Amino acid sequence: MTPTKPENQVTLSRRGLFLGAAAGAAAGTALPARAAPPDVSASADPMQTRHLFYGSGPQAGVATLPQKHAMVMTFDLTTQDARELQTLLARWSAAIGVLMEGAPVGQVEPARASAVALDTGEALDLGPAALSVTIGLGPRVFGPELGLAGHRPAKLRDLAPLPSDNLRPEFTGGDLSLQACAEDPQVVYHAVRVLTRIAKRTGAATVRWTQMGFGRASAGKGQVTPRNLLGFRDGTRNIREPDEFDAHVWSREGPAWQHGGTYQVLRKIEMGIENWDTDRVDDQNAVFGRHKASGAPLGGHHEFDTPDFTAQGADGAPVIAEDAHIRLVAYEHNEGTRILRRSYNYTSGLNAVGRLEAGLMFISYQNDPAHFEKLQRKLGAGDALNEYISHVGSALFWVPPAAPEGSYIGAPLFE
Amino acid sequence: MSRSLLRRTLPLSALAAGLALGQSALATGTPGAPVTRIAVTMTGKDGGTCVLDHDSAPAGPVTFVVTNRSAPAISEMELLSDNRILGEKENLAPGLPPVRFTVTLDGGEYQIYCPNAAQDTIAFSVSGHIAQRAQGTTADLLEEGTKGYAHYVDGMVDAMVTGSKVLQAKIDAGDLAGAQTEYAKVRPFYERIESDVEGFTLPGSDPTDNAGNLDYLIDMRASNLDPAVGWHGFHAIERDLFQRGEITDDTKALAAELTTNATTLQHLSAELRYRPEDLANGAASLIEEVQSGKISGEEEAYAHIDLVDFAANIEGAQQAFAFLSPGMKQIDPDLTQRVDARFGAVKAMLETYRDPQSLGGYARYTASLRASDARKLSHTIQALQEPLSQIAEKVATAG
Repeated sequence: MTPTKPENQVTLSRRGLFLGAAAGAAAGTALPARAAPPDVSASADPMQTRHLFYGSGPQAGVATLPQKHAMVMTFDLTTQDARELQTLLARWSAAIGVLMEGAPVGQVEPARASAVALDTGEALDLGPAALSVTIGLGPRVFGPELGLAGHRPAKLRDLAPLPSDNLRPEFTGGDLSLQACAEDPQVVYHAVRVLTRIAKRTGAATVRWTQMGFGRASAGKGQVTPRNLLGFRDGTRNIREPDEFDAHVWSREGPAWQHGGTYQVLRKIEMGIENWDTDRVDDQNAVFGRHKASGAPLGGHHEFDTPDFTAQGADGAPVIAEDAHIRLVAYEHNEGTRILRRSYNYTSGLNAVGRLEAGLMFISYQNDPAHFEKLQRKLGAGDALNEYISHVGSALFWVPPAAPEGSYIGAPLFE
Repeated sequence: MSRSLLRRTLPLSALAAGLALGQSALATGTPGAPVTRIAVTMTGKDGGTCVLDHDSAPAGPVTFVVTNRSAPAISEMELLSDNRILGEKENLAPGLPPVRFTVTLDGGEYQIYCPNAAQDTIAFSVSGHIAQRAQGTTADLLEEGTKGYAHYVDGMVDAMVTGSKVLQAKIDAGDLAGAQTEYAKVRPFYERIESDVEGFTLPGSDPTDNAGNLDYLIDMRASNLDPAVGWHGFHAIERDLFQRGEITDDTKALAAELTTNATTLQHLSAELRYRPEDLANGAASLIEEVQSGKISGEEEAYAHIDLVDFAANIEGAQQAFAFLSPGMKQIDPDLTQRVDARFGAVKAMLETYRDPQSLGGYARYTASLRASDARKLSHTIQALQEPLSQIAEKVATAG
């Protein structure tokens, strides 16, 4: 299947890309921490849609409209030399800049017979596919070993232990993170694969854990709210508007260069698929506090109806149960606390006991990790959904702002 | 695997003078200046452009100062003479501080090669002549290394022949414990060099027939047997000694055959000549062996001395790299240092498994040890594998 290319995609030459990037960077200079990264080319063909890597605001992949596929990978530092981390961040940045244009990182088939190609080739000619790759820095980057402790972002630390945590070491932690998202799973996989090779080549980091996700499970502005693998719409009340991003997602703490950064929470949430599938529908609805098909809050009629948490049924019991998911997590009940959810469904075949291994690769962004902790502390303790889910993986990263052209993510750390 | 017996012609136009930094750098092009400085700058213009501030220099030491200002697509730069690399810088990326390297250049035509630039090759000319060469070229150093490595391989094969004879004697004497000990002693000699000798066939045999494939006859594991040929060599003996726990007439025949085949290998390998890239590729193959056979525990399925073989593969790879190092340091000291550091990390990790009580001196690689440690072992190896894979191209094209 070769989609016909509309005329306007002839502009996807290197020259066109760079002109576009420069224009985007210029447009974003007014208020660094406010603007979401602009789309350079929102093409009718999703495989030709391109997002900008370079800019003066936040990194792509946070406010960017959620793409269909994702992969997260976290890495352990294998160096105590800050210069090796510097080289890695610079090479990652340059490579991501190239990948987001839909170009390979160097020659796929080098002219020299003895050469080993860096780019592994499987995304050749697939197009940019709306790829974004987002770099996160974990707490240990700012630990004593690398001498960067003086730059530690104000709120970066390890996540606190939370109720119902069932964390497994093989899905937990990491010193660096990559979140790659695109409209094509092979473009996503290719980006992470090549960037992983760069990590090893620089000697700075090696893989810790990874999860591939399919089917976005969170909506951005203008997108239809998608469904998680429990069949329910997820993220109806998600953050969508620029002023909401300003209030809840972008950080303005620390030195000016850190403004526009944010904190990334990764939680691998395993679902008990078989038990859920055999649960009666009114219990499923009660667990979420919404109708499964329409997404309307119980007692309401439409997805975006404001939930009425005071409504009572004929029996005097609340229509939306005390332990319903949406009641516990509603910002009205959490002093206005809101976080951006940007999650993906995942499956990994069958687990060790022969059940479907699937769930939600939960990804959230917030200007203070305590906001996630506040919500999860409540959910982990009392959510009716806990009978069917388990948080098995966890990590926290600080996502620095984007780099301007000629620089790289995190450059001020090394100046 | 056939080896080229041809020697490379050595370019005499250039000699690399190491990384003496341009501490006495003066203005470019000043006649008689001890060091000339050339700025190489990459920008994002036209999708990636590489420019020099001067396209010529007088003969003598020349320092290239390389800065990637805004070209994400360009990550390396090489100085070439007649397609030979005289010096290079990699890991270039926008925003990193400038890096530099110094080479001593005789009069002639050179090229600056920036892979992925819109125009990837830029001419650079050097006028005049330099005085007598102070030391050998990079190619000379690499050639010296290949000779040294050939001696190393010969030594390993000799030791393997000796070890096979001792193993055979223990088996002939029906000494099970003694044979087990000798099995663990002789294995490393083959594992250190297997990538160099695995391509041999018995004289006159069909290259596609395993019956004449020396590596098959010496080192085949249970997982890849050819029913038409049957099981021979080390691992068939391993099965008898460690799984069946008894020495039979078959075991004795296998041991005698192993000695014969090892001796044949000794004669054949004495003829081997190596090119520098053979050492690099051989080292990379040994690392692949670690990943594919040792970490999985397949290599020594009965004796569980996989970590002994692991250590031997690493030693062999490190030897090959060490013989390339003097030349590699001329071409790319950063990469050389990185690979060296990663070998150090692997060896330090292996040290933690030392166990004088165990056969072969390393902890038995049991299923439980594999379950708990394979991931760590594999990650440490991967961190070596990637930078090591970059060596062959450098030494194959070294000037």
